[in-house]
Amino acid sequence: MAKKQVTLIFPQHLIKEPVIYMMSKECDILPNIRRARVTETSGEVTLELEGSEEKLKQAVAFLEKKGVKVEPVGGDVVS
Amino acid sequence: MSYVLGLKCRECGRLYPKDVIFVCEYCFGSVEVDYDYDAIRKTFTKAALATRPKSLWRYRELLPIDGEPRVGHASGFTPFFKAEALGKVLGVRELYIKDDSVSHPTLSFKDRVVSVALTKAMEFGFDTVACASTGNLANSVSALGARAGLRRFIFIPADLEAGKVVSSLIYKPTVVAVEGTYDEVNRLCAEIGAKYNWAFVNINIRPYYAEGSKTYGYEIAEQLGWRAPQHIVIPAAGGSLITKIAKSLKELKMLGFISDAGTRLYAAQATGCAPIVTTIKERADIVRPVKPNTIAKSLAIGNPADGYYATKAVLESGGAAESASDDEIVEAMQLLAQTEGIFTETAGGVTVAAARKLIEQGVIPRDESIVLAITGNGLKTQEPLMNRLGAPTRIKPTLSSFEQQLQETLAACQPRSA
Ligand SMILES: Cc1ncc(COP(=O)(O)O)c(C=O)c1O
Ligand SMILES: [Zn+2]
Repeated sequence: MAKKQVTLIFPQHLIKEPVIYMMSKECDILPNIRRARVTETSGEVTLELEGSEEKLKQAVAFLEKKGVKVEPVGGDVVS
Repeated sequence: MSYVLGLKCRECGRLYPKDVIFVCEYCFGSVEVDYDYDAIRKTFTKAALATRPKSLWRYRELLPIDGEPRVGHASGFTPFFKAEALGKVLGVRELYIKDDSVSHPTLSFKDRVVSVALTKAMEFGFDTVACASTGNLANSVSALGARAGLRRFIFIPADLEAGKVVSSLIYKPTVVAVEGTYDEVNRLCAEIGAKYNWAFVNINIRPYYAEGSKTYGYEIAEQLGWRAPQHIVIPAAGGSLITKIAKSLKELKMLGFISDAGTRLYAAQATGCAPIVTTIKERADIVRPVKPNTIAKSLAIGNPADGYYATKAVLESGGAAESASDDEIVEAMQLLAQTEGIFTETAGGVTVAAARKLIEQGVIPRDESIVLAITGNGLKTQEPLMNRLGAPTRIKPTLSSFEQQLQETLAACQPRSA
């Protein structure tokens, strides 16, 4: 099992959809939410995803296809 | 002697020992250095400072090192002066420039953060330092790391300006130019940082590294005669500099060095990469990442690590934000050069252009004290200026050729002071 820490950024139209639950079911991933900030226009959820390397890749692809931005925890490192 | 109590999560407040830790293991928030200000008060006084060398290390108690500084003994304490000519053009009464375009040794404010990061890395026992950089940070880690005798790995995007690449290569680090989109470079560097036991200055050493930016703020206050200006315009990429300038003024106030001037901070970004400016203008809580597209490559960070904190610092100060197009950036670089004799890089153009707009909009009042943060040198970013500055007038080596070619110029030319 591998772990991946990411921040998910939701556009307004996805805030009300259970995207994390769907990803978890569809890709067999264990999500562990650590922090969230949600406003009327967007949402930001920082969490750890746990699953096989293969499933983790699928999960990221699933989220991106939905329209969620998947960013590494801590933001850009190039400065 | 150390004045560091430990590290503290900026989100949940959890405390950690002063180790190589950069995210909170509970909430994945970033961590920040926590100081013993009561102990600092005892030795950090105006009288003590007056006798210290003019470098960034004069603020040693407020920097996160335990022993003696290892590098950067000549870094910091850059020029600060009243910019009369530019002030006149912008129509403001009291304009100052804090000029890190002549920072020693690599001509940008990154010498401040790197001096602190490398000293800390050596205290932790690292023999290899690394960074992921759009140029200025790369130059500084290359140079100061050479001085310190450290092995250096420098990761840059493959499309960087020639001036910034040469200014790293000369110090002979291992320079790795990553072919890929900005996001790919970024993700790769995060992975490399997690795998190798190196001091990655802007990843695992980041909490210590970032503290170095506070010295830019301390110097502004000290060089103004221990007074904070009413307005400071600051270029933002990751958003760390602006956040740390806010912290520096808070600390000086707490330690009784300055009184509350209600200093307002303004973030300046390029229109082609303005995630922080957008967040501030929308008064939003969440920074939406963007794909950078601008000549201001040193500021081209689409998902700023400190974007949230930068937004908070600006809004809490009562400040604002503005962006500048590529054309406006180049015009502003020329304006600064032609009025104050400073050749800044694109980032400095962003600051001057944003300040100009904020003044014209009436957001920054014309009769109050304003400081412009000039943070980098124009010799490193010459590409956007090519074909835009005209060419020298070519003549034959005779007096008649000179006078013939320059007849009109000679007649029209009046020095500004006349
Ligand atoms: C010349 C210059 N000015 C300003 C900045 C912005 O600093 P920060 O990333 O701390 O916002 C950078 C960052 O790379 C820079 O190179
Ligand atoms: Zn935390």
